Amino acid sequence: MDEILEIFFQECDEQLQELETGLAALAADRAEDDTVNAVFRAVHSIKGGAASFGLQNLVRFSHVYENSLDGVRSDRIQPTKEIIAVFLKSMDVLSDLVVEARGGASVDAQRVDESLTELKVVSGEAPAATSSPAASFDPAESEAEAFSPVPFEFEPVAFDFGDDFAEPASARKIVTFHPHDAMYGCGDDARNILVALTALAHDKGDTAQVECLTEALPAFHDLLPASSYLTWRVALPDSVAESEIRDAFDWVVDSCDFTLESDRAVTETTNSDASDEADAFFDAPASISEDTIQAMVAQSAGQALSRGASLPTTDRRLTAEAFLDDLAPPATIQRDEEPIALTGATVARKAEAASIRVDLSRVDDLMDLVGELVIAQAAVQSLCQKAGTSGHHELMQGIEGMQTLTRDIQDAVMSVRAQPVRSVFQRMQRVVREASSMTQKAVKLVLEGEDTEVDRTLIEKLAAPLTHMLRNAVDHGIEKTEDRIAAGKSPEGCITLSAEHRSGRILITIKDDGAGVNHKRVFETAVKRGIIAPDATLSEDEINNLIFTPGFSTASEVSDLSGRGVGMDVVKQAIMSLGGRIVISSVAGKGSTFSLSLPLTLAILDGMLISADETTMVIPISAVSEAIIVSQSDVYSLPDGTRIISKRGECIPLLPLGVTLGLAGARVRDTLEGAVVLVVENESGSRAALIVDEICGQMQVVIKSMERNYRHIFGVSAATILGDGSVALILDVSALIAAALSQTENKAALGVSELVN
Amino acid sequence: MTMLSINQETKMSEQLTTREGADTASVKMIVFAVGAQEYCIPILSVREIRGFEKTTTLPFAPAYVCGAINLRGIILTVIDLAAYLNIPPELENSRRVVIIVESRAGVVYGLLVDRVIDLADISTGDIQPTSDEGACLHGLVLIENRMIGILKLDTVVKHLVGESSKE
Repeated sequence: MDEILEIFFQECDEQLQELETGLAALAADRAEDDTVNAVFRAVHSIKGGAASFGLQNLVRFSHVYENSLDGVRSDRIQPTKEIIAVFLKSMDVLSDLVVEARGGASVDAQRVDESLTELKVVSGEAPAATSSPAASFDPAESEAEAFSPVPFEFEPVAFDFGDDFAEPASARKIVTFHPHDAMYGCGDDARNILVALTALAHDKGDTAQVECLTEALPAFHDLLPASSYLTWRVALPDSVAESEIRDAFDWVVDSCDFTLESDRAVTETTNSDASDEADAFFDAPASISEDTIQAMVAQSAGQALSRGASLPTTDRRLTAEAFLDDLAPPATIQRDEEPIALTGATVARKAEAASIRVDLSRVDDLMDLVGELVIAQAAVQSLCQKAGTSGHHELMQGIEGMQTLTRDIQDAVMSVRAQPVRSVFQRMQRVVREASSMTQKAVKLVLEGEDTEVDRTLIEKLAAPLTHMLRNAVDHGIEKTEDRIAAGKSPEGCITLSAEHRSGRILITIKDDGAGVNHKRVFETAVKRGIIAPDATLSEDEINNLIFTPGFSTASEVSDLSGRGVGMDVVKQAIMSLGGRIVISSVAGKGSTFSLSLPLTLAILDGMLISADETTMVIPISAVSEAIIVSQSDVYSLPDGTRIISKRGECIPLLPLGVTLGLAGARVRDTLEGAVVLVVENESGSRAALIVDEICGQMQVVIKSMERNYRHIFGVSAATILGDGSVALILDVSALIAAALSQTENKAALGVSELVN
Repeated sequence: MTMLSINQETKMSEQLTTREGADTASVKMIVFAVGAQEYCIPILSVREIRGFEKTTTLPFAPAYVCGAINLRGIILTVIDLAAYLNIPPELENSRRVVIIVESRAGVVYGLLVDRVIDLADISTGDIQPTSDEGACLHGLVLIENRMIGILKLDTVVKHLVGESSKE
């Protein structure tokens, strides 16, 4: 039961995302016919699931929500900006209710009631809207009812057959649909759709013409009683809206092929005699048992009607297959260029491409194994070379082929772990919404490149810094509405959050069209906080970067939202700890742009391979700022023997790596002339210079936890496996720098006090 | 106390090999030599046995931690049992092997031993508790007049991951 509940919650998350996407599309006015339906379906599914688990709060809320959405769907309510805002707000409540049902924080009842009232206002203050006469004519509604097990009553449907068709009708909409076997299989019936469609026509004071296309019907002895052969063609008055027709097919969209044509020309039909038709129908070998006929006739009420149907010319009609051909391959379908006819099969195909759920640990296991494969492959290769088989051209070729394959597999497994940033980006909509309502500013968030894929480990860690930055953008970046109007800008602020791949990294930019960084104020604040000297001359870039300094906040009033002085420096540290960089650019009056450049994954790291005292180790490249060959004249010894190196006027403590890590056989060198040191930098800009023996190269390494089977080691953040299968440690640069600094400071302080005494 | 914890440690093996009677449950053990002394551990805690290979030295590690090795993508540490138990190791031994052990909490580590001798069914009733010195051993058992120490793996893990950790 818990498992099923868990699946329900996962589905809720998906539905909520769908809801968010749909509402965003509505708000941005790029809604398609199906968008409202998708939104409606999302809420409806949540309601349905919640009802079966007895989650009353959720059911109650989603029911009202659904009613309001239904108003929009049936075109009773025009989705204005205000109404969409209500929907968005309700969505937040709904998602909180889901969290509550999941055992999370409970939702403020007042907030729920408030939203409920707003929703009811939207739906016309009528909670009974569903039972109003208008709604009972809503085809989708009747379909929805047909979906639940209701007592089946036969209700004769009035069909207009062939001869009516010949009447010169005004422009009509022609719906052609062919139910799949599956549709009958799940207890639905073509009749339900025919009823719904005729009801649509009656609504408009007109009639629908139904004809049955029987050309797919095989000879009687080939006929499978449980198969669906008939195609239905319904001519509806043009006044029936396309969306209404689509609604009628809402529940069967993946179990029937369905096309919609606007037929302005008068339909040509060949009136064939019904009895001819029947003769042809039974034009089969004589020995047919009564049972077979009954089974066949019982196939569906709809198919049984075929005997009276007329047969139109077939060549003018676009069949479902033809449409499928037109649409293939599905990947090239452009939503807005899509032909009016969307076959059920295409929809189903899209759905199939969706996803499967896989336990992350399985993917991780796969990653480990692939890593091993790469190592084993390299071992085979080097053994072959050692064994002098280089003459064996074919063997070497085979091995090279294997190498390519293993690399491809590694990439493929990495891409399995990759996820589009959409999930985290969409959460930001809510952040901006809440922030803007709190600051009384009208701000919209535009998302771009949500499909950009990064490793899921990274996605989880992006949310916090992005939230912080967006709040900052709303709070400090975007001006107050009056100021915007005064500056001749649109009253609504716009923040663009975009992601793209750039040279093996992901680039995320947050761009606002606010006032930009106020250099004067930033400078003054920095002086006030003692971060810089009052007479310092700084370039624009340097001033911009001041906002990343710890303890800096320009907001004159500390707001609820941000501006507690732990703003951007925290963001910078978070980004740097992910191996990323952050850059700000700003144009006064036009807005500012923050660019984050991050690695695509946290599972792999660009490392510099170094050796110290015969041990190979890895230093994250992002932490290395330069490599220097020491000349002894730059090295100064402190009284106690610790050494510092002066580089471009900056004093950097020197750290003999082997000794610092307590490696066996490590020794302190007397002279450092010609030694290689790596200057490393931590998140807050502190530096240390590590004395190493050799820089062996640069490689991408897979990060493996040391703590899983051992304890935490000082100075080591993780480990990795090198090409030869041996283990190398990845150094924790921050810890090493901290050690170097405290050592130098302590000893320097000691040295000074000794001198004084 | 001693009996209780060995019962916990070998619960699974008991289920498989119990021969009637709770007092005389029999546990299949793997017997190995470290220096001149023989020790054993329950076979069900053993994941595999592999030859000794070069390890990567770990900074600030206790003397009995040889270093880290790569076991098909998992990084684990190898403990030199001779150093751990304070026994002079056999010199010039090319048969040294690493017994890979997985603890109940899922910590995987290797025990470097001089050689694996055989398997033995040990009845829990035959175990003679030792004076709980450092709790390295559960006790001693006599097989064919050889005195064999039963290594307490919980203590090994505790030393390995540190007191405040998962074990």
